[in-house]
Amino acid sequence: MSDARKAILAALRQEPTTHVPPLPEVMTSAGGPTVPLDDRIRTLTEILAKLGAPVDVAADMTAVSTRIREVLAEHGATSLALSDAPLVQDAAKELPDSIEQFAHDADREQLLRSNAGLSTAQCAIAETGTLVLVAKDERHRLATLLPDLHIALVPASRLVATLGDGFAQLASDGTSPDSPTITFVTGPSRTADIELELVVGVHGPKALHVVIVMDA
Amino acid sequence: MTGTPHSRHANAFHAQANDALQDATLKKALRNATDLFAERRSAAIDAVPDWEALRDHARKVKDATVARLDHYIEQFADNAEKAGATVHWARDAKEACAIVTKLAEDRGAKRLVKSKSMATEEIHLNKALAERAREPVETDLGEWIIQLAGETPSHIIVPAIHMTRDAIGQLFVDKLGIPPSNEPKTLAAHARKRLRDHFAKADLGISGVNFGVAETGSILILENEGNVRMTTSMPKVHVAVMGIERVIPRFADLEVFLRLLPRSGTGQHLTTYQSILTGTDNQAKSAMGQGPEEMHIVLLDNGRSKIAVDEKMRETLACIRCGACLNACPVYQTIGGHAYGSVYPGPIGAILTPQLAGMHEAKPLPFASTLCGACKDVCPVKIDIPSLLLELRQRAVEGDGKQAPAKRGFFELLTWRMWSWFMRNPTRYRFATALARLGQRLPLLQKTMPPMAAWHSTRELPKLAKKSFRDTYRKAKKESNG
Repeated sequence: MSDARKAILAALRQEPTTHVPPLPEVMTSAGGPTVPLDDRIRTLTEILAKLGAPVDVAADMTAVSTRIREVLAEHGATSLALSDAPLVQDAAKELPDSIEQFAHDADREQLLRSNAGLSTAQCAIAETGTLVLVAKDERHRLATLLPDLHIALVPASRLVATLGDGFAQLASDGTSPDSPTITFVTGPSRTADIELELVVGVHGPKALHVVIVMDA
Repeated sequence: MTGTPHSRHANAFHAQANDALQDATLKKALRNATDLFAERRSAAIDAVPDWEALRDHARKVKDATVARLDHYIEQFADNAEKAGATVHWARDAKEACAIVTKLAEDRGAKRLVKSKSMATEEIHLNKALAERAREPVETDLGEWIIQLAGETPSHIIVPAIHMTRDAIGQLFVDKLGIPPSNEPKTLAAHARKRLRDHFAKADLGISGVNFGVAETGSILILENEGNVRMTTSMPKVHVAVMGIERVIPRFADLEVFLRLLPRSGTGQHLTTYQSILTGTDNQAKSAMGQGPEEMHIVLLDNGRSKIAVDEKMRETLACIRCGACLNACPVYQTIGGHAYGSVYPGPIGAILTPQLAGMHEAKPLPFASTLCGACKDVCPVKIDIPSLLLELRQRAVEGDGKQAPAKRGFFELLTWRMWSWFMRNPTRYRFATALARLGQRLPLLQKTMPPMAAWHSTRELPKLAKKSFRDTYRKAKKESNG
């Protein structure tokens, strides 16, 4: 044990605490009333619309690929960084050759040069409009961060109602997050550091586009 | 524009506050910003039906944690190490700076990037690293701006709140050689481009910590820009500096704090990004660039353990650094962050700084408040800042064995003695108020006689009624009886 550790712990124990208030039970919104999928989709769409991030619903993989192509075209994107998720690999197969593709383990310079990134989300939270990216389950840390446009495929089965439901999913055993990195993403990157005027896209993606995949 | 108060000397406060009061641009910028934040905050919390329950609950969690901080911080450290992080303990600023500097030097890391962190401001980490030719590049837009300008943050959440777009535009022309612009969008685009070069080449990233989870050893960092994600994923080494009071017991406790913090700080229901980092990715070396190979957490005491065992002041450590009390405070709204001359400004700074840095460094701060209670009303964890300010005032004046008593001036003592003498006896009280009524008919006397003259130069004395309540009451009683 380091000297500093000993000293700090000793200082904290220096005076016996006369009153230790009990730690309250966890307060959580998890496990509330069941919210129908349509309502979860509507809430997610409304919240993300306010943040400038469109949400589409795609019935199957063909629709997903079509939508990706259209969104890339809207943004004039010609290169796409891919995560290693099977859903992403499937969708990418259908894309035209004019779109240059980079795998998740591509050179960092290439990832920095990509116009767009494609990933799934391990969970999405309707209440807050949040995508939950769990790095243990998908190599998507940089593909969702470096390119100007992030397209996220969200299997409808992973769309939960509340923030608490999201945390409950992350810690299925109730305690451990079990992934070195978990990133919550709610809309595109933004700042208001200059005279509090909103600027979208300062370091992270300038645009976020969500596609809910019904049959995945 | 006010000068940057590098001097942290206590006596500087009044001069700095006075400078700020003369600065019309600063006053306007502060007013706009604090009004806007206050507006957004109330809109955001109005949409939460159980806001009060959330606040009460969060406070209970914090109270339980701070009372057993030894237990929770040790649990946090053990679990972080189990997950693959290396935990360092720092008793004070000097030790913390030495740890980070050594980490950088041992790895030959020369190019450092950093995301916003009040704890690293508190220990003046940049200065320590700069002395070893390793000054980190600040990557939060606001922090980068003030780093370019050679200034210090003036707000916990919006560090460059005191600078206008024109001043920032001119700064970018001078320092970056860009074509003139005062458009935030254009300026941010230049920042994005410049800072990406730094991220791509950086070999060590430094961040702060918003919450550390004892049961998992995870840290959570909130942000809007994406620079925290960059700082904690692109360089090979990540160093997080965490005040020991940032710990919360359970992973599931994060939900309540995430509901409270962004709404209180910026009025957002959530900030754009939350990074939850738990140790290292054991595949970091093989799967290129998906996370740092090393994670270090520096646990910083720097006066916190002293506050934790001080039963009267302990609730100071419940603070989650949202900045709501700054925006609500009429004093902060008027003088801004720099006038405080301390890293933490506003009401929270006025209670935190004297305890962390010592009363000798910050004696005027507990007195720089009207005790109006606006800070307590908006605090998401209901810290009773006015009561803590009063306690600190008492300690500043009387000393408490830990802090030396203040030397009271002869006139101050005389004034209070006289006040007390007049107030204790009805006849003397009547005489004094009669004298005051007479005095107010002589405005010249008020305007020239010290100390009234100084007070009078910017204000009018409240008018006393022509007749006292006592006289009116007596007269009315007499008439009704008569």
